[in-house]
Parts: sequence; C-alpha cells; structure tokens
Amino acid sequence: MPTLTIDGRTVSVPEGKTILEAAEAAGVRVPHFCWHRALGALGACRLCAVTVLDGPQKGVRMACLTPVQEGMRVSTLDESSWNMRRSVIEWLMANHPHDCPVCDEGGECQLQDMTVAGNHAVRRQRGRKRTFHNQDLGPFIEHEMNRCIACYRCVRTYRDYCGGDDFGVLGSRDRVYFGRFRPGRLLSPFSGNLVDVCPTGTLTDKTSRFRARPWDLEEASSVCPHCALGCAVIPGGRYRELLRVRADPRPQPNDGFLCDRGRFGYGYANRADRPRQARLEGRPGTLAEAVAALRERVEGIARQHGPEAVLLLGSARATVEANALLSLWARRLGAADPVFDLAARRDGAARIFARAAPALRATLADVRQADLTLVCGADPLAEGPLLALALRQAARRGAAVRVIDPRPVPLVCEAERLPLAPTLVPEALRFLAGGNGAGLSQEVLQPLAETKRLFDAARRPVVIGSAEGLGPDGVRALLALVAGASRPDRDAKAALLLPGPSSFACARLASAVPNAQDLRRRLGGGKIRAVVALEVDPLAEAPPAVTGVIEKAELFAALDYLPTATVGRANLFLPSAGPYEQDGAFCDFAGRLRAFARVLRPGTPILHTGKGNHPPRTFSPDVPGGDAAPAWEILAEILGISGGLSGARAEIEKAFSFLQGLAGLRADARDERVLPGGEPPAPPGAPAGPEPAGLRLLLSDPFVGWEPLSAHAAVLEVLRPEDAVYLNPAELARLGLAPGARARVEAQELSEIRVARAADLPPGLAWVVRRRGSALSRLPAGEVFACRVAREEGA
Amino acid sequence: MSREVPRVLFANRRPGLTASLAEFERGGGYRGLRRAVAELSPAEVRRLVADSGLRGRGGAGFPTGVKWSFFPHDAPPDKYLVANCDEMEPGTYKDGELILADPHQLVEGLIVSAYALGANRATVFIRYDYERAACALERALAEAREAGYLGEHILGSDFSLEIHVHRSAGRYILGEETALLNGLEGRRPNPRLRPPFPAQKGLFGRPTNVQNVETLACVPHIVAHGPQWFRGLARTPEGAGTKLFGLSGHLERTECFELPIGTPLREIVEEWGGGVWRGRRFKACLPGGASTPFLDARALDVPMDFTALEKAGSRLGTAGVTVFDDRTCMLRVTHNLISFFARESCGFCTPCREGLPMVRECLARLEAGRGTLDDVDWLKEQVPRINLSFCALAQGAMGPLSSLLALFGDEVLDHVGRGRCPLGEG
Repeated sequence: MPTLTIDGRTVSVPEGKTILEAAEAAGVRVPHFCWHRALGALGACRLCAVTVLDGPQKGVRMACLTPVQEGMRVSTLDESSWNMRRSVIEWLMANHPHDCPVCDEGGECQLQDMTVAGNHAVRRQRGRKRTFHNQDLGPFIEHEMNRCIACYRCVRTYRDYCGGDDFGVLGSRDRVYFGRFRPGRLLSPFSGNLVDVCPTGTLTDKTSRFRARPWDLEEASSVCPHCALGCAVIPGGRYRELLRVRADPRPQPNDGFLCDRGRFGYGYANRADRPRQARLEGRPGTLAEAVAALRERVEGIARQHGPEAVLLLGSARATVEANALLSLWARRLGAADPVFDLAARRDGAARIFARAAPALRATLADVRQADLTLVCGADPLAEGPLLALALRQAARRGAAVRVIDPRPVPLVCEAERLPLAPTLVPEALRFLAGGNGAGLSQEVLQPLAETKRLFDAARRPVVIGSAEGLGPDGVRALLALVAGASRPDRDAKAALLLPGPSSFACARLASAVPNAQDLRRRLGGGKIRAVVALEVDPLAEAPPAVTGVIEKAELFAALDYLPTATVGRANLFLPSAGPYEQDGAFCDFAGRLRAFARVLRPGTPILHTGKGNHPPRTFSPDVPGGDAAPAWEILAEILGISGGLSGARAEIEKAFSFLQGLAGLRADARDERVLPGGEPPAPPGAPAGPEPAGLRLLLSDPFVGWEPLSAHAAVLEVLRPEDAVYLNPAELARLGLAPGARARVEAQELSEIRVARAADLPPGLAWVVRRRGSALSRLPAGEVFACRVAREEGA
Repeated sequence: MSREVPRVLFANRRPGLTASLAEFERGGGYRGLRRAVAELSPAEVRRLVADSGLRGRGGAGFPTGVKWSFFPHDAPPDKYLVANCDEMEPGTYKDGELILADPHQLVEGLIVSAYALGANRATVFIRYDYERAACALERALAEAREAGYLGEHILGSDFSLEIHVHRSAGRYILGEETALLNGLEGRRPNPRLRPPFPAQKGLFGRPTNVQNVETLACVPHIVAHGPQWFRGLARTPEGAGTKLFGLSGHLERTECFELPIGTPLREIVEEWGGGVWRGRRFKACLPGGASTPFLDARALDVPMDFTALEKAGSRLGTAGVTVFDDRTCMLRVTHNLISFFARESCGFCTPCREGLPMVRECLARLEAGRGTLDDVDWLKEQVPRINLSFCALAQGAMGPLSSLLALFGDEVLDHVGRGRCPLGEG
C-alpha cells in the first residue's frame, strides 16, 4: 500500500489506485467532470489537474490518470495546477449558456459548483456562443445540447455501462454532439441514468421539468419499491407531489444506477384518481371509523363463524412491518397464515428460497463480480431490471452469460442461449449439478455439458432464476446446484427473482410448507366470510375461481393507495400511504432487511387542490387527502400496539425471531440486516403430473405493464408491450396465422384477442406477456396451461 | 542538383512514373527480404535495426529498435503491423511521394518488419486523398503476391503474411496511432489512453506495432547493407540514414528530395529549394511540418537532424520544410495553422476542443488589428495549459504558437500598436 501526501494529508491506498481516488480517500475533493466512480477515468475534461511536487513525474498531472507512488507529494493548491483548472472552466464556460435560472440542473450542477470553486467570474471572450439544435429524446429525457461540456459521461453510461446503442457522440471538434442519429425516444430501459450522470443541465428529467428547484425538494434515503432488488433511491417531492426519483450515488447495492421503471414509475403516487378517502359500505368516512369498523367486523366474523371464515391477503409491495403485523393479527385471531402470494407455484418457490443459507444468496454486487452467470427460467429485464444491468457488468469483465429458458429472454449483453421447454429447466439444473439428464434430448445435453464444464471451472458463478419461472422443483434444483458447488476456494451463489420489495420477508413469514392446496380447500369450502386485502389487487391477479369467492364475502376490506379493481369493489376501504410516504422496511431478494425514510407526507398534491398550479387561498388545519396512514400504523392500531414504528417493530421482533434487528435499522445509514436461513422445507410430494398435451400457454411479465406501481404511472404508457401472442414460426404456419394477424387465445376458461407474432420458441408453446387488466393475465405466470390459439375471424 | 547524394528510398524514382516490381528488383529490391528469411532470425533482424540507429520518420522520431523491443514478438497470433500513411500534417507529402514512386519499398519494408516482429497481419492505413497511391500500392501487393514475396510461406519459409490496404475517412487525428487503431476498428477515432500501449493491446486488443511508411521502407535496406552503412549515410555522427524532405512554401523549387540526415537547413533552402522565391529573403520556416515550432534566419545553419533541431528549439518532425519569405505575416501563418488544428480536433479533450477555437478567434482579432495587449497575455497563458491536452494534436498546435510569441513577439505587438497588420497592403 503506497503512502503519499495530498495537500499535507497523508493517505495509504492500494497499489494501482490513482491520485484522484487517493484524494477522495484522504477527504480532498479534486474537481472533475469526466471521472465517475462507476465509469472510471477517461482523461477528457482535464479538470482534475494537480501538481506532483515529489514523485516519478513531477509537474502538473491529471489526478484521474496518474497512479499513486510511494512517497508521492501532491498539491491541489499549487498555482500551476490551479491555473490549469481555471482555464478548463474558462474554456467550458465560454460556450455554456448563462441560463441557470431556467435550468433544472441549477442548484445541483457540477459545472455551477466548479465555476464558483474555480473563481471564474469574468468573461474574457468576445463573440457569440456556440449553439446546437436539441432533439426530442422521448418522454423521459429533456435534451438541451447548448449546455453540454462534452464530458462523455452520457455515452459511456448509455453505451458502455447500459448497453444501449441508439445514443452516442456525433460530429467532431467543437461541434461534437451527444444525441441520437435521428430524434426519437431513447430505447434503453436504463435511459434515465443519463439524468444522474450528466454533470450539467444537458440531459434532465423531463417528467419533473420546471416543477421544483432541487433545494426545494423534500428528499430522503429510500428503497425502490418496483421490484425485489431493493435498489437505493433518493426520491424527491414538493407540495405533496412526488416529483422525481434519482439513484443513490453510493456503490451498494445498485452501483448508482436505476432502471426506467424505478425512476419514472412514480406517477402512481400523484394520480388524481388515487383513493384517498376511507369508505364504509359505499359511504365516505374517516380513517379512524374505517379502522374501528375493520377490527370489529373481522373479530365479529371470527367469533361468530370461526377463524377459518377470515382470509387475510398479504402483499409483496407492502412494508415488512405491515405484512408481519398482518401475520400477527392472523395468529391472534387463531386464523390461518395470511396468503402472501396467490400464485401457488411462485409462492412455493419463494418459501423454499427464503430458507436457504444466507451464504448461498447472491446480491447485485455478487452478480457484477461473477465470472460465470447462468440465467435459468428468469427474465431479469422484466423481473429485476438492475440484475440485467449487473449481468452486463459481469459480461464486461469477461464473464460468460448463458441463458436456459424457453423464451428469447432479452438482455443487455451477449449471451449464449439454450431454448428449453419450461418443464425441463429444473432437469437441466440437476444435470449441471451432476445429474444424469434424464428426459433431456441429445441436442440439449451437448450444450449443457459444455455449460457444466464452464460452471465447474468458474470460481464465482452465480445462477439466476425466478420464483415463477422455476417453481418449487426448480428452486430446489437451483439451491442444490450452488450448495454442491461451493467450496473454500469457490463461491457459487444463487439469485431468485421475486415479485415485490417485501416478497422475501413474506415468504419467510409464511410457513415453510406451501399452502396452495390449503388455500384451494379454504376457498372451496364456502366458509370465507371476511377478506382483507392489504395493498394487493386479487381481482386483477387471480383466476375467476378465487375472485368469485372474494367478491362474495360478507366483508371485503381493502387497504391501498392505488386505484385498483379490488379497491373499487371492496365494501370497506382504508387509504394507506405509499412507499415513499412512510418510514418502514423492505426485504430485498437476497433477504436483506432495508429501512427507508419518509420522503413526504401523504396528501392530495397542491397541483390538484389548487387552481392554475398555485397553492389555494383557503386554509384548513387538515391536509386535503391527508387521511391516509401507513398500513403498519393501521394494523398496529387494530392490534392495540402503541409506540409508533418502534413499538410495532418491537412487537414484530418478539413474535418473529428471524426478524430480529428490524428495530435497529436506520434508513439514512443504509443499514441492512440479513435474514437468517431456516429449516429446509419438506421434500417435494408427488412430482408434477404429465405435461398437458397440445399447445401450452406460458405467461410472463413485461418490463412495464404488470408491476403494480409503475402500471399506474401514465408516463410509462409508451413502454407497455404490444398485446401479442408469440409462437414458433412453424407453429404459426400450422395454425394458419400470419404474423400480425389477430388471434383468439383461450386457456382456463379465459380468452382474449391478441396479435400473433413469430418468436424463437420451442414448438408447442404459446407465450403471452401479461398486462394488468387483461383477461388472460389473471393466470399465474410461470405455469403452463393447455390453450387454444385460433384466427379471429372478421378481423 | 548541385551535389551528389545517396539515393536509397528514391533510387527508382522517375518523374511521373511508378516503379514496377521488375524495376524494383533490378535496383536490388527484395534483397533485404531474401536475406532476412534465408539467413537471419527475427531477433537478428531486430538487432540490425536497433544497431542502425533508425528513428521514426512520422514525426516523433522515436528509435525504432527501442519501440520494437517493447513488442511481444513471441505472443500468440494475431499480432499486427500497421503502416501509418495518414500523412495529413500540412506541409508533409513525402510518404505519398514514396508510395507513388516506388510502392514496393513499403511492401518489402512491411514484410521484413513483420518478419522481425512476428506479426502475421499487416495493414496500410492510407490517407483519403491518396487514392492514386493506394491503387499503386494495391497493384504492387498483387505483384508481390504473384512473385511469392507475400502470402503463405513467403519465399519457401515458414513465414506467412497478408497485407491489407485501408483507406482512411480522412481526418488529421487519424495520424495519432491510437486514434488510427480506433479508426481501423470502425470506432470513433479518438486517441486511446496509454497504458496499455499498442504493443500490448492495440488493434482489436492484440499486440500492434504502428510505424510510419518511410521508417518501414528503411528496414530492408538496413538488412541488405548493414547498420554501419545506414549510419554512414547521415552527415551528423549521431544521425543515421537518409530522409525524405518535402519542400513547400516560398521557395523556387517545392519538391520532395531524399537527402542525408543532418543536411544543413541553409543547403536545403538555397541549393535544393533553389532559394527563397522572387529574390526575397528568408524569414522563417517550419522545419518538420505544421506542428513543429518556427525557426528564424538565425537557425539556417542547423543540421537537419533530430537532436540538433531540438537544441535549436524545434523538431525534425516529418521533415516537411515550409519556408516563409520576409513579406509573410507570421501571425497570419499561425492563425492559418491553428485554424487547421482547431478544425481537425477530434473533440475529445477540453483544451483541444474548446481552447484551440478560442486561440483561433484571438489570433483572428490580433491579425485584423482588433486585438489588445490583454489578448497577447491571454495567448501566452494558453500555451502551457493547452499543452496539457490528452494527445499530441493540441500540443503540436502549440509549437507554432509558442514560437510565434518567442521569435516574433514584436511583430504581434506591432499589430496591436498599429491596429493593423504591419506587413499588410494598407
């Protein structure tokens, strides 16, 4: 570890680090534009000039490019490097417009900071400033090319880090242009990162354009609620309106990057049709009335008809605290565990994974560092987009990426693909673990054998699956594979994609044994009289057999902040606070409890209550629409637990030993606590029955259009996939369907019309990407169903 | 011509003609290659080149033997040898002349050098405007292939080589070797960060040696006649070989001549260039292309060699000598040169992209007599700062500017004082 001094401060950093990194470690800020922690050094902006007073090459050097040496003496304050930095600012400001008052970056602009820090106040140039035409880059990113200082961070982010290819640098000399070949929407699902990496107002968040100055925003450390990965975010709001989400710049867990779903999917919180008023039998009431009614009626029904008449539905998007308190309520009522996931296959898989040893569970950092990644029965871009980005980082370091899946799973890196019928994926995993590959054909076994060789040689392999793609059988095979491969010199890990930010904790709160059959029995018995839906929309997510029972219940209570079908039908409604409107914790896909802090209080945005986007002139002690409370608070009230969040967490820790440590989590410190493993679930019962003959239907989720929060964000409408049914080209021909023809798809007594499309799928498979609200989408993803696809006549 | 000089690279040069394979062979062509593959190991060829004192002819003058010693000649294939014939330096046209006159000089140079380095692929990266030269080269490659000098098992040996001709899209920055490699790969021709150097990680991530055309052409002659002979060609003890001098500017005769390294500047101007045109006096010259500092009349007796010119405050560069007569406004010359560099900047780093256009505007103001003393001070402070650019393009641009301020500072101030060009008509 070389030791050097920077501005008189002594610091030791590992060999190979640069002066800039050493300075950061010593607490000396070296000005820079093009250097970025995640993107590395480039050497383009020449702002990080420092003076090496003692060292192998004395004089002015670029801090980002100069490796440290033992005994080096560096000054950032020396006149020669100071002068260089002043000149860089002068060069850049010569053409930068003085439009800071109308620039959304103003107040958090690196160029502003550096201009002030560099003491550049007097313009010495005459003549006009250079100008460019801007491009329409779609609904997310605003382009103002005149402000560009050509630091190249955007192209490095978009092309190198995120794998996009429709944005880049064009032209040369002082006319370099950062944009698209033609104006149009940026196609990368990670385009929003341009906003975070751009040090000026060239690329800004269009969804919050002109809505607030950065210093007026209420911001807090939070956790993204749009999937199970638990990316660190810093949302910002003003006037009771959520206005933007940016990535937490710290390296863990998401390396300072976000997907567009997590960044731009916040519109659900501000919807004019968001339910903000408690409702009792169709009559508006206060939240207190509704809470009292909920407790009395559920307890009454349990007393009168027995606890088996109560069905509690937990939620992957509610906080860990709310789900735990719901479990506690079930216990106190003597009722069965809440049902946390209505999709039995996914639920069963999650319960198994949630009990795996913590050392086997991969984090995003593990994926980024992996030297081999297998993606089996998972669609990372849809189910956990940042995982797809982490895969790309592994691939950029040289890791091989192999996909074993029936679908042509989209990724943002090169991958070898092995298309396999869905039911064969678990068998493929068993083969990789040393199984004999029974049931796998020869043309599958050959590439699999090669994959096995790679896997056996890899030192840090990560195998990625998804709960709905693998099912219980597949997850057992997944865990057996990595557990068998882990040795002292070898770190094999597994990642399982789960549907929501609390899924892991829910799966742990539920008993080890899946109770899907149990649920079917309870629903079939005709005993259910009270249904409580905690931030979940069973009417959109469950097949008619389930929804029929729920709708007929005497008490159908819903807590939510989204205008769902369930909220519309419930006869008791309690408005709850959205994820950024409360303190609480989620539990990410690797089983780490992650606390988050409230960004803003719930309430109807002034945009909706005022006239003409101006605060109203009427004053009231109550916040309009501010009745909503965090779901955990509502449930704590029902359970008679006092002491706010800490009181609730203390009770939860007492009731559920595996949630020990929840009470001590602090959001601003990015505390996390790893849930311990558990008793492994019982071995599988009878193996799955034979595959249905004929055409089978497979459903999976899109990037945008299914995940409940972003599906309620209007700005993401453009990203919703086409309502299509994908078939092997030969299959299409057999069915007499031309690509683009309208086809009726029928399965499980549900049917809808979709556009027929050809895709690279195994024969005999029809693939449908779900969309919230469509009939077929009520079938669970991952399972296969016998189906019928026929040309829709008269189309 | 007034003086007998050795003819090595231009031995087969005939006005308006391109030497055929037969002519090249008659003049001793491919003797170096025959000797190399038949008698010498690659290491022995590298030793000969190192002993010859050959220095790169593309501008930087880096000793070729040293550069070759960094090349991992025993690394597995692919290893690349690239001939840099981008030649976009204003005032420089010698490589184009060489290829047009005798393309087999380059072909043999490439083959012998690839043999020495263990490179199995070679590419000639040729300037957009050199279409005639590119065609001549392609014809020569076909002839060489036909004659067994190129392709599989060259002259019956185990050595095989293929040579490709790549026509540049035509930007000055492509002469920078790492930008050239990016251009060859189909990327934006921005210079690359070093390390890794091209010898470690060059074209498509493989070991790559990039050499100037004239440098490569010298190699077979060294192999054929030995390093002592090569050193003896020069007129200075530390120099080695001959050099193609491309003359331009205010001379009676603006042609390309092959002269010994170390030929005095005065001899080049007065004898080979026929003296300054129209009977005028010598004011200044760029001794080695647009990116070398000006020399004034006091430097006329400097021998045109790498070390001597560095002592004189300039560089041999590409040895493209551009002469200015005593009626030339040096501010105007510098403005012209800076305009070229500003236009040819790739736009990668701030000093080059933003600094050069600002210097250009400042020079334009001064030239038009609208400049101030503040402008002159501003120019002076720019030189060391623009010199901190990412690659040598902007540093090269500072050559003429710094020497303008050092040698012709009074002329610059005269523009400010009179409010017009002192040499102008008005």
